[in-house]
Amino acid sequence: MTSDPHGGRRFRVFARKRSAPSRARRRLGAAVRMIAALAMAGGVYAGFTPNAAAEDDRTLSSSAAEGKALFDNSCITCHGRDAQGVTDRGPSLIGVGSAAVEFQVGTGRMPMTRQEAQAEKKPPQFDEAQTKQIGQYIQEIGGGPQLPSGELSDNLATKPEALARGGELFRVNCSSCHGFGGGGGALSSGKYAPGLHTATEEQIYAAMLTGPQNMPVFGDNELSPDEKREVITYVTQQLQQDKDPGGIFNLGRYGPVTEGLAIFVIGITILVFVALWIAGKS
Amino acid sequence: MTVVQDNHGHGHGHETEPVDVQDPRLSRFEIIKEGARRDDIEIVTYESQFPTANSKAEKRVVRSIALLFLLSGAGALVFLIAYIWWPWEYELGHSINDYYTAVLGISLGISLLSLGFAILSWAKKLLPHEVSIQDRHNTPSSDDDRLITGQTMAYMVDELGVQRRPLLKGAIGLGLAPLGLVAAAPLIGGLIENPHKDAQPELFHTGFDPVANDGKLVRLTRADGTPIRPSDVSVGGQITVFPGIPHGATNEYADSPTLLIHLRDTDAAAARQATDTDKRNQGVMWGNYVAYSKICTHAGCPASLYEQQTNRLLCPCHQSQFLITDNARPIFGPASRRLPALPLSVDEEGFFVAGSDYRETVGPDFWERP
Amino acid sequence: MKRRKFDVTQVPANVGKGLDDRYKAATPLRGLLNKVFPDHWSFLLGEIALFSFIILLLTGVFLTLFFDPSMKEVAYEGAYPGLRGVEMSAAYESSLHLSFEVRGGLFMRQMHHWAALLFMASIVVHMARIFFTGAFRKPREANWAIGVALFLLGFLAGFTGYSLPDDGLSGTGLRIASAIMLSIPVAGTWISASIFGGEFPGELIIGRFYIAHVLLIPGGLLALISVHLGLVFAQKHTQWPGPGRTNNNVVGERMFPRYALKQGGFFMAVFGVVAFMAGMFQINPIWLFGPYRASEVSSASQPDWYVMFMDGLVRLMPAWQITLPIGDGYSIPPLFWPAVVGLGALTTVPMAYPFMEARRLKDKRSHHLLQRPRDAPERTGLGAMAFTFFIVATLSGGNDVIADKFHISLNAMTWAGRIGLVILPPLAYFIAVRICLGLQQHDREVLAHGVETGIIKRLPDGRFVEVHQPLGPVDDHGHPIPLDYAGWVVPKKMNRVGALAPAVKGFFFPVEKPAEAPVSPAVPPVSAPEKREEITSGR
Repeated sequence: MTSDPHGGRRFRVFARKRSAPSRARRRLGAAVRMIAALAMAGGVYAGFTPNAAAEDDRTLSSSAAEGKALFDNSCITCHGRDAQGVTDRGPSLIGVGSAAVEFQVGTGRMPMTRQEAQAEKKPPQFDEAQTKQIGQYIQEIGGGPQLPSGELSDNLATKPEALARGGELFRVNCSSCHGFGGGGGALSSGKYAPGLHTATEEQIYAAMLTGPQNMPVFGDNELSPDEKREVITYVTQQLQQDKDPGGIFNLGRYGPVTEGLAIFVIGITILVFVALWIAGKS
Repeated sequence: MTVVQDNHGHGHGHETEPVDVQDPRLSRFEIIKEGARRDDIEIVTYESQFPTANSKAEKRVVRSIALLFLLSGAGALVFLIAYIWWPWEYELGHSINDYYTAVLGISLGISLLSLGFAILSWAKKLLPHEVSIQDRHNTPSSDDDRLITGQTMAYMVDELGVQRRPLLKGAIGLGLAPLGLVAAAPLIGGLIENPHKDAQPELFHTGFDPVANDGKLVRLTRADGTPIRPSDVSVGGQITVFPGIPHGATNEYADSPTLLIHLRDTDAAAARQATDTDKRNQGVMWGNYVAYSKICTHAGCPASLYEQQTNRLLCPCHQSQFLITDNARPIFGPASRRLPALPLSVDEEGFFVAGSDYRETVGPDFWERP
Repeated sequence: MKRRKFDVTQVPANVGKGLDDRYKAATPLRGLLNKVFPDHWSFLLGEIALFSFIILLLTGVFLTLFFDPSMKEVAYEGAYPGLRGVEMSAAYESSLHLSFEVRGGLFMRQMHHWAALLFMASIVVHMARIFFTGAFRKPREANWAIGVALFLLGFLAGFTGYSLPDDGLSGTGLRIASAIMLSIPVAGTWISASIFGGEFPGELIIGRFYIAHVLLIPGGLLALISVHLGLVFAQKHTQWPGPGRTNNNVVGERMFPRYALKQGGFFMAVFGVVAFMAGMFQINPIWLFGPYRASEVSSASQPDWYVMFMDGLVRLMPAWQITLPIGDGYSIPPLFWPAVVGLGALTTVPMAYPFMEARRLKDKRSHHLLQRPRDAPERTGLGAMAFTFFIVATLSGGNDVIADKFHISLNAMTWAGRIGLVILPPLAYFIAVRICLGLQQHDREVLAHGVETGIIKRLPDGRFVEVHQPLGPVDDHGHPIPLDYAGWVVPKKMNRVGALAPAVKGFFFPVEKPAEAPVSPAVPPVSAPEKREEITSGR
């Protein structure tokens, strides 16, 4: 579709009507003509390709483009074209931010296998890089909360008070659903707050920031990034990595329910067998 | 070992002739048997579990019991050594110190269980097998004894002659009753507290009552006392707030903790419609914000499991569920009363304040709640 | 002068003489040493409770040396980094100190808590044994009532102990206790204010619970346990029916040497199991719960298991509020019924059961022989009903944990509990009665026809019949003469009548001597069997 030769000839014809220019001007004129021809070629190109007009005015970064490909493959059925949402299937993802993707896709909750009360934690379908790409795509089309760069938890060697402060915040804000021991708990009608034993720092941070599913949002105004780091420090250092000091097994830290079960299943059972042996026929 | 087969006198021991226990020819067991007889016990069988003394089987049992005793001693030694030298101070993370309690428990458990089984095996395996029959003597006391005791007691009452001396009867009553009350007085007088004694009984008032704050409206604060602006709560977020007065976040104001919730537009519209059509909850919302008491109306636990999609509040103690978008009405579980709403407002500095105290009584229900 | 030679061998005799001169102990001591106790495994369940109580006293005394029952606010600066700098009550601080800065303190705390759970568990199991075997009948009605009272006292001891550390979980429990007091009509607010010394939580409750937990309730327990055991001694233990066993004798072993030794060994075994559990399993990690704050709570907030039935009933109770439109209006909250009326009924109605049963059966005799559960189908059915109720209520007390771990809807669990509480106990009654009747019938069939041998015989006319081994004498035609049922185990397999040795030797059977065939009821009991309603065999 190049119209270069034709355009050049017209310019030349036009030039002949004038007196012959100097060599330098001729050279300059050639450059101008060249530029003009290129510009015109572009304009014609634009005019003849109508599809290009529907393309978004923002340009996606390359990783977001990769993310879009993944999105269009796995997520589009429920969340719709350009993550606008589909009624009764999936919500719009405009404004949820990459933090939400980090949590939902990173923990395997998305893509969901079926519609149910609550998305289950599963082995993630996408690896970390792919999750980041989808997150980048969602972030670029809709904006929203993002994970900060840098450390997501505190170093207790330099900031030992973070542990106790995180514990206080955890008990005020988190334990009502996730439990004092971080084992999770039931919510109404089949919903539940998951256990925190395998949650990563990124996932906890993203969950607080975005309030996935029925979890309330803990934006940066409610829990400052510093406080979030302290909560994460408590969860990871105290609840996940610390070995319980009170024996070999912690009975899941579910409290009196498992303790009561243990006294019957272990204590009473052993002692009844001892009693049977003592009084065994002799 | 002695084998006794007492065949004669199948029923009770007393039929046999009494034995003179002072007789030096008697064996010790015969004396014991006579003692048992005097307690109406018939030793039917008392025989060694081993046909011959020092049999191989007996030696094996003795060896295993000795082993159990030694094991018990070893367990106790492990306990002592661990108790003294095992590092035990708490350390964060995973270290050998975390097994201090486990080592103590397992070593002591092994020691005690071995001792227990050593004693039990001794009793069960080494001691002679015995069947004794003791008379139960479950006939009641003889009629004579019943009569004598009964008459003695009646005689005692008669001798006191209270029946005949009515003055004493009255005097005892009048004299002792006040003394009995003296015993009860400090308990009753000291323990009984009038829940309604204050001009502002705490039963009906919380820390959000402006009366406690020199008449000024009370701010909503975080646990550390910092006040809260509307922008501090994200959409779909919640925050536990306390009255902004001294000690407002402590247990002194155990009925005051409140849940401040920022609803989404659609939910807020539903919630506003519900509050506005309600007699008592009119105008409690501020924008898309609503605040409900965190203290469950059922048993007083913090009903703080907020589900931001379904807008339910769940109480973890007895699973009462409250619907935020409908005046926190109980929709499931044992709670019969809705959560009281705190009237919200914003002061000139832009911080949340309570427009007034709760309009309904906070906390678990009771008899005289209006 | 020559010194008299000191004869060591005479020392015990001399000491004994001296003691008897003064205290006249020989005669009563002879009776005690000679006392005969029947031997059966189920008679040892109560001992588990007794021994756990001793462990509780021992470990509890250790804990009091470090515990500070004060609600004064202090800032924690101890060894546990996760709470450093946190404001808390002195009671919680001293519990943490006890757990982390006293050598072996955490172990002692865990032993105390496990022993408490075991105490209550063995009380319930022991109670079931007493109930299902009819051991509560005259003359032991009072001892049964004392046992029920011991459960209630143990319940209170457990609840006060659960509250003492003043951690997040115990504070939640206290809050519910205060709500339960408030729910009592008319006097509720006064009771709560009097016990807490004002508005919940006040500053007195830990001190008050402390004195109740370490003095008043253990004192009551000690007194009742003494009376309980004293009555067992005085009335002599019940026994199972069997050869030579009558309502007027006790067949067993004398206290010394064997019985006492077994008791001592069993005590050590109970102690060992408690120590072992305290080392293996962490219990009540109070450091994770934080200090009690009225605004903080954890999902799965539960009481200890023996309070769970009450919590379960509270959870299942529908939201039925009674409002009285007098004056400003008065109300009885739904919490009142399960927590106050329910607990009151469940701990007092059983006390009256022995009298109710005696009245219904018009039975005024004394019973020292136990009944097998199958022989009293209605009692067994009632017991099954009561325990089903208790178990459904207890499970409902943990229904949120069950819902969460087994992925069931919480609301469905509550409804299952509500329906189960109504439907399952009658069902349990029906099933238990049917099973009892079936077992009775089978016993009588075996007594009438003999044990099934598994040998099939073909008769000349082509029929097949199974050969039965008669348990007693046969008549002239070789048919067994039906035996009377004597209230004890009827052998139903050939190896129980000596055809085969037991498969595994050495555990329940002595190594040395082959097990003698278990006493068969074919041996006629010494006394005539009690009149029983005859149940005709199905054939």
